[in-house]
Amino acid sequence: MLTLRNRCCALLILLAASRVQAQLVIEITDPGTNPTPIAVVPFAWSGPEAPPDDLARVVHEDFERSGQFAPVPRRDMLGFPTREEDIFYRDWRAVQSEYLLIGRVNFAPGPEAGAQAGPESDTSLSPLETIAGAAPGLQAGRADSQAGAEDKRLAVHYELYDVLRQARIAQGDLAMPVGEARMLAHRVSDAVYEKLTGIPGAFATRLIYVSVTRNPTGKDSFRLTLADADGARPIVLLKSRDPIMSPTWSPDGAQVAYVSFETGRPAIFRQVLATGEREQLTRFQGLNSSPAWSPDGNTIAMVLSKDGSPDIYLMDLASRRLTRVTRHYAIDTEPSWMPDGQSFLFTSDRGGRPQIYRYDLRSGLTERVTFDGVYNARARVAQDGRNVVLVHQRAGQFQIAVHDLVTRRLQVLTDTDLDESPSIAPNGSMVLYATKYGGRGILSAVSVDGGVRFRLPARRGEVREPAWSPYMPY
Amino acid sequence: MRDGYAFAQLTALPMAATLILHLALIGFAILRWPPDTRARTIEARVSPPTAIKATLIDAGALPPPSTAPPRAAPPQPGPEPATPAAVSASALAEPLVESTARSDPEPRTARPVRRPTAARPPPQQRRSAQEWAAISRAELSAALDKEDSMAVAATGEAMSASYAALIRETVENYWSAPPSARNGMETLLAIQLAPTGELVAVSVLRSSGSAAFDRSALNAVEKAAAFPELRNLPRREFERTFRHFRLLFRPETLRY
Repeated sequence: MLTLRNRCCALLILLAASRVQAQLVIEITDPGTNPTPIAVVPFAWSGPEAPPDDLARVVHEDFERSGQFAPVPRRDMLGFPTREEDIFYRDWRAVQSEYLLIGRVNFAPGPEAGAQAGPESDTSLSPLETIAGAAPGLQAGRADSQAGAEDKRLAVHYELYDVLRQARIAQGDLAMPVGEARMLAHRVSDAVYEKLTGIPGAFATRLIYVSVTRNPTGKDSFRLTLADADGARPIVLLKSRDPIMSPTWSPDGAQVAYVSFETGRPAIFRQVLATGEREQLTRFQGLNSSPAWSPDGNTIAMVLSKDGSPDIYLMDLASRRLTRVTRHYAIDTEPSWMPDGQSFLFTSDRGGRPQIYRYDLRSGLTERVTFDGVYNARARVAQDGRNVVLVHQRAGQFQIAVHDLVTRRLQVLTDTDLDESPSIAPNGSMVLYATKYGGRGILSAVSVDGGVRFRLPARRGEVREPAWSPYMPY
Repeated sequence: MRDGYAFAQLTALPMAATLILHLALIGFAILRWPPDTRARTIEARVSPPTAIKATLIDAGALPPPSTAPPRAAPPQPGPEPATPAAVSASALAEPLVESTARSDPEPRTARPVRRPTAARPPPQQRRSAQEWAAISRAELSAALDKEDSMAVAATGEAMSASYAALIRETVENYWSAPPSARNGMETLLAIQLAPTGELVAVSVLRSSGSAAFDRSALNAVEKAAAFPELRNLPRREFERTFRHFRLLFRPETLRY
């Protein structure tokens, strides 16, 4: 009897359970591309002098440019809280904001960095001008050579709130030298972006690019320029009457390498950003081009034609020894390392038209990577080792496309013509490239999903060959 | 000893009778339990451009929905709805103009009573009734698709399906997956609604493992809430389907 009753009970429970199981499940499978609203409230400033910079404005613009967020305009805000107790969530719901970022800025007594070697100008190259040590922020974490107010550090405390759930989801403290206020704001953006999206932000990074201006005399003037990832604070690293090409970053973000024609023929140089110290790496007959730093920083892949047709060589930076890795009568050029450093992609016309190939350093084998269309060149691999951005020709137009190494699918990202030199952000979210706008060379950016496009401000002249830095150490 | 035997003999019959009756009752309960305890798959297509699919997920047989006489399903013994004020999120309720415009207006005008149905296309209905028991789930959804495209009689289930589609579409409109999202990630949310369509509670039943992804799903629900259209649903249908339900966020249209 008892067991029977037990069984009855069990059965009834089972039935009840099956009722629960039968609950309606609605599947949601198609996410939209709505940008997430976020309110970046002006940060509170507590200091004797006027505030150095509007950090919240910089953060606001970062989020706007990401395309994934829609920052609430300041004029729509019903209050400017700077502490948790001042927040009225109702106000933020009213402006439909999902997240709320508040912050406080002040001077922090920071660890005074011992001054390092000041700027030193290399005057031996008379038609050239290197501007050394003028790259603030590159010394951050190392030493800042500037004096006076620069010794002061700016500290920011930020708090991120979830408006819908009325809870704080992140907070943090960051500090940087006063001259780096914008970089400090970008780092706040990075932290918040990572919290909200699950991938690290790439706002506190930098660009190098080549700009060309025509002098009244008709001669071109070339500049290698360093700027923040948003195009702000451009600094000229090198000025020359002869072409500068193919700038590229070292993996630690401390050096750049590029091709300069200052000696009358192409030669590969490297330059330390913090000190401006330069070094000529190659002086071979023929082509010396397309330097690409290996992920471990010990090797530079480059294209030399000293032995006949252009082929790819590896230079060991410590010993300066050269190793030839491709041998083909066709042109092999534009090497780009895979993140694991075990192989690299390059462009070759060995099949008749330029296509992307991959050379494996362990096996010594070469395989063709791209098969879409008749022209694919200038590949750059994202840090995930999966997305490859390249220049793709379609219907006679040169456009930026992304090739997925896993699915082997190619997706065109841009709708302009004459796009060139794609460079991908270290977090893989955006692609920077050079294009023509109004007959002028400018820098443009597009998100890897093709959803967001924007142009970077260019003050003057033609802008070419952008290279997005790796994550910078701070 | 002998007394005990006599007692056993005396009680044997009623005992056996009780047993048999109980078994019969249990058997009846198992076999003839209202069909909503079993799995159903409802495919609903709302007018273009977006195709909408709402699925009731469970494993199990598919009883013919219209063969059984209209039995009153025992109302879900759900807890009394918490006061909507408890969820301040519902204060954000928006008019949902877009979704209402797109949702099929038919169910709203339909009479909430479920009839044994001498509904419009009787041959159609009969054919389905006979076949439903046999055909597979896939065939069923295909058949339902067809049914829907030819204005189906507004049964409670069809209404539920179209409201499920409405909820699906509304939430999708508000959902923006973070860039770290990948196809196949899954977050399962438990939703509790009030009969007014307001959101009473939402919680994560099964996390995707990514806080950003889970939050995007929660935010989509909070922003989409409430669903005032559900007021037009018969109370019984509401209790059965929408008092408690689940939302499975599983992106399929991302690049990878």
